Amino acid sequence: MIILFVALPLVVAGVLPLIGKISRRVLPDLLANAALLFLLVYAVAAGRPLIANGPVLQQLTWLGESVNLRLALDGFSLFMLMAVSLVGLCVTLYSVDYMEHYGAKANYYALFLIMIAGMNGLVLATDLFNIYIFLEVAAVASYSLVAFGLGHDELEAAFKYLMLSVVASAFILISIAIIFGMTGSLSLPAVARALQDLNAGPVVGICAALFIMGFGLKAALIPFHAWLPDAHPSAPAPISAVLSGLLIKVSGVYALTRIFLNVFGLTPALSSVLMVLGTVSLVGAAFLALGQKDIKRMLAYSSISQVGYIVLGIGLGTPLGIAGGLFHLFNHALAKGLLFLTAGSMQQATGTRDLDEMGGLAKRMPFTAATNLIGSLSIAGVPPLNGFWSKLLIIMALVQAGHPVFALIAVLASVLTLWYYLLIQRKAFFGNLNEKWAAVKEAPFWMTASTVVLAALCVAIGVLFSLTIKSWIQPAAGVLAEGVQAVIRSWGL
Amino acid sequence: MIVQTSLLVGLVLFSVLAILLRDLLRAAVSLAVTSLLLGIIFFRMNASYAGVFEISVVAGLITVLFILTIALTNKGEEVPESKLVNLAFPLFFVAFIIIDALVMKGLLRKIPALPSSPETGAFGDVLWKGRTLDLVGQIAVILAGVFSVLALFRKRDKHD
Repeated sequence: MIILFVALPLVVAGVLPLIGKISRRVLPDLLANAALLFLLVYAVAAGRPLIANGPVLQQLTWLGESVNLRLALDGFSLFMLMAVSLVGLCVTLYSVDYMEHYGAKANYYALFLIMIAGMNGLVLATDLFNIYIFLEVAAVASYSLVAFGLGHDELEAAFKYLMLSVVASAFILISIAIIFGMTGSLSLPAVARALQDLNAGPVVGICAALFIMGFGLKAALIPFHAWLPDAHPSAPAPISAVLSGLLIKVSGVYALTRIFLNVFGLTPALSSVLMVLGTVSLVGAAFLALGQKDIKRMLAYSSISQVGYIVLGIGLGTPLGIAGGLFHLFNHALAKGLLFLTAGSMQQATGTRDLDEMGGLAKRMPFTAATNLIGSLSIAGVPPLNGFWSKLLIIMALVQAGHPVFALIAVLASVLTLWYYLLIQRKAFFGNLNEKWAAVKEAPFWMTASTVVLAALCVAIGVLFSLTIKSWIQPAAGVLAEGVQAVIRSWGL
Repeated sequence: MIVQTSLLVGLVLFSVLAILLRDLLRAAVSLAVTSLLLGIIFFRMNASYAGVFEISVVAGLITVLFILTIALTNKGEEVPESKLVNLAFPLFFVAFIIIDALVMKGLLRKIPALPSSPETGAFGDVLWKGRTLDLVGQIAVILAGVFSVLALFRKRDKHD
């Protein structure tokens, strides 16, 4: 019943505002967390046995008639579902305390679950137009979640995000229309098969360019990144964590990767474009992050930089590069989720996001400081944390494929990353305690608990990296490395 | 051919007007006329359902929503816009027309025509049986819209 990944969050979202009339806090908290916990357990416990003998295709019936509710679960989609459920659960746990002062908690959870349903639907879709629709589901919910605080900055950031996202959707839609005109189908296996039979290189090139612009905007790759440093810091902390940790990856990186590797087939030209875009993003955003004083803005630029690593690894197209890219996607989802959540705890305790105003907070918020340090070191790629292994895989893949210059740039950008994360540590947590923060206390229980869980995962995955790679990353990377055949052979109904 | 060309030229002209006009009401009406022309083009190309939806929903319902919203807003201070922004659209538009004229004809010829796929069929079958997952997605979009309105127009008693 893989439709549950879409249906359950949608149904719970539908009833939450009604339940919010009966219980304003406890029941919405319980229901939202229970839904995500169920999805996580389902993905981890039931998902892997389900795809043990290859991808699962589900064709549902409705009132006895076969309808086109067609979903596919393979190693790549299961990996994404697990990442979405895991980070989603930590974020809803954090929201139990954090969203108290915003009000309208039931509506918040409803929108959050719709965003999760949108991401899950996109991951399971087998059809280009389905991908577009679920992209919009997640996007519409995320616009309101960015604006949820209702302050001037939030509304302005949400509007900017909406405007640029609409442009991205237009590019994606035009490309889908051209592909439909050319192949007569929207279904991924049919399109993949038709494109192999057709000799339509220039037109496919234009479609690829439109997808790069559309999904590149969603993934906030440089030069399509302008919206992200405004939208992500302005949103409530748990939403920043989901946007940076998950949404840009699902609606940008996942969609782009699935279409380019499994439908178009990764040509050397496409590979070069992706690698250059990834490298420009990882270097450019790292420099931009260095100059930031707002901690969440610095984290937002860091997200652009880390998505650059992911695209560089996947764009390389070798099995090791793809595995490294996917592993970094997962590690970054955990670590950046963690960092945005700790930044939220700091903002709630001090009322500011300005790093220059902070200082010595480790004395007052030891758990937040420790978990933030783990997240920072993980993203910077310090061993033995998870981020180290994924960056190492990407760099090894680049060297192995004969791209030493790209590998060197990736290493140097990692040093830059470590630099700006150490700046956060020095300015926010170490040094003398600013007198203004003498009365500051550690974040409430659920906020601390969720960050501790994420930090523990960063450490555990770093220590047990080979197990993670074997169980989750290799099956996902295998699907992508197989290229067009993975979809044509296994998804054709 | 003349009718089709006039409709297409009208479509482009009114779309441009919708962007360039400073008066919001006139811009909304221009957009409605654009949709109306697009609806007629759909009818002439035998896509009658698309035409009906375009005219009833986009030219009708959405225009009413736009006009209602504009009526509810107060005329505030004029927001100054930089000249660069005012120049950006016409420049982009002219560049697009030039590229369109030079490239599109040759490009369209290169798109090989395939026999129509099993995804065509009667409208009802395509909508209810062929595109069911899209309907689920659309329900989710509507839910997101409704909850967004509820969340964003809530009483700001606590946070503010």
